[in-house]
Amino acid sequence: MSDAHAFIALDSAACTSCLVCARECPDWCIHIEQHSETLAGDGRPRTVKLLDSFVIDWSSCMFCGICIEVCPYDALSWAPKPVVAESTRAGLAYGISELADPKMDDEG
Amino acid sequence: MTAIDMTGLRGAGRTYAVTGRPGLHVSVANLGLACCAVEFGSAVTRGLLEPADPTLEPEMTVLVVSGTLTHRLTPALVEAWDAVVGPRVVLALGACATSGGPYWDSYAVVEGIDSVVPVASYVPGCPPRPEALVAAIVSLADAS
Ligand code: SF4
Ligand code: SF4
Ligand code: SF4
Repeated sequence: MSDAHAFIALDSAACTSCLVCARECPDWCIHIEQHSETLAGDGRPRTVKLLDSFVIDWSSCMFCGICIEVCPYDALSWAPKPVVAESTRAGLAYGISELADPKMDDEG
Repeated sequence: MTAIDMTGLRGAGRTYAVTGRPGLHVSVANLGLACCAVEFGSAVTRGLLEPADPTLEPEMTVLVVSGTLTHRLTPALVEAWDAVVGPRVVLALGACATSGGPYWDSYAVVEGIDSVVPVASYVPGCPPRPEALVAAIVSLADAS
């Protein structure tokens, strides 16, 4: 049995910065920064959003899984890695690299 | 002046030790304010924590604050903290004690107990598992 709650992993390559998870989180503990870029192509120019930062602040997270359920792109998932206690509150705010799924790292 | 009976809230009343770690001279007190206190109780009933030996002098007391701190109850936290003698640290158990948790934007709730007392360990979860509580106590004791 794990001695800490499960972890919510972010697949940042799958995330489209749509903000659905941040809006649906009951505690507002997901913080996303993004910017738009316009790509020129053969057809009309396309505007895409790019992720600058994605933070889950475990200090208020309920581990309810709503963010995982609502993500339209399956970019969030439960992972068995525990979120351990920290000596500072800031240490509980995990960014993109800390939220990477350890399993995905193994798969390369 | 205050209508609150704080007798049951005093942290220094009953203390616990980590089961199976006699070398760890910590004494653990719980200030139970809301649902996270159930997990503290679970750590005791499941035998992860046991009543402290009153003849042993603890090297450190860990005051566990489990649950939601309202502005109204802030004096009880100050009183519990002041009642702990000797070396002492505070462990914030769960999201409410850490940041106000699901209630951080309520007018009644303190956005984290660290605005009232210094916190040495923040244990995430709503609630955290009893094992996470005990692991955090052990790392505090090992670090001291
Ligand atoms: S698990 Fe729940 S509380 Fe935590 S980030 Fe996701 S939606 Fe928010
Ligand atoms: S809902 Fe999914 S795709 Fe949208 S911002 Fe959140 S993680 Fe990214
Ligand atoms: S963190 Fe969750 S379980 Fe703990 S006291 Fe707050 S609401 Fe209750």
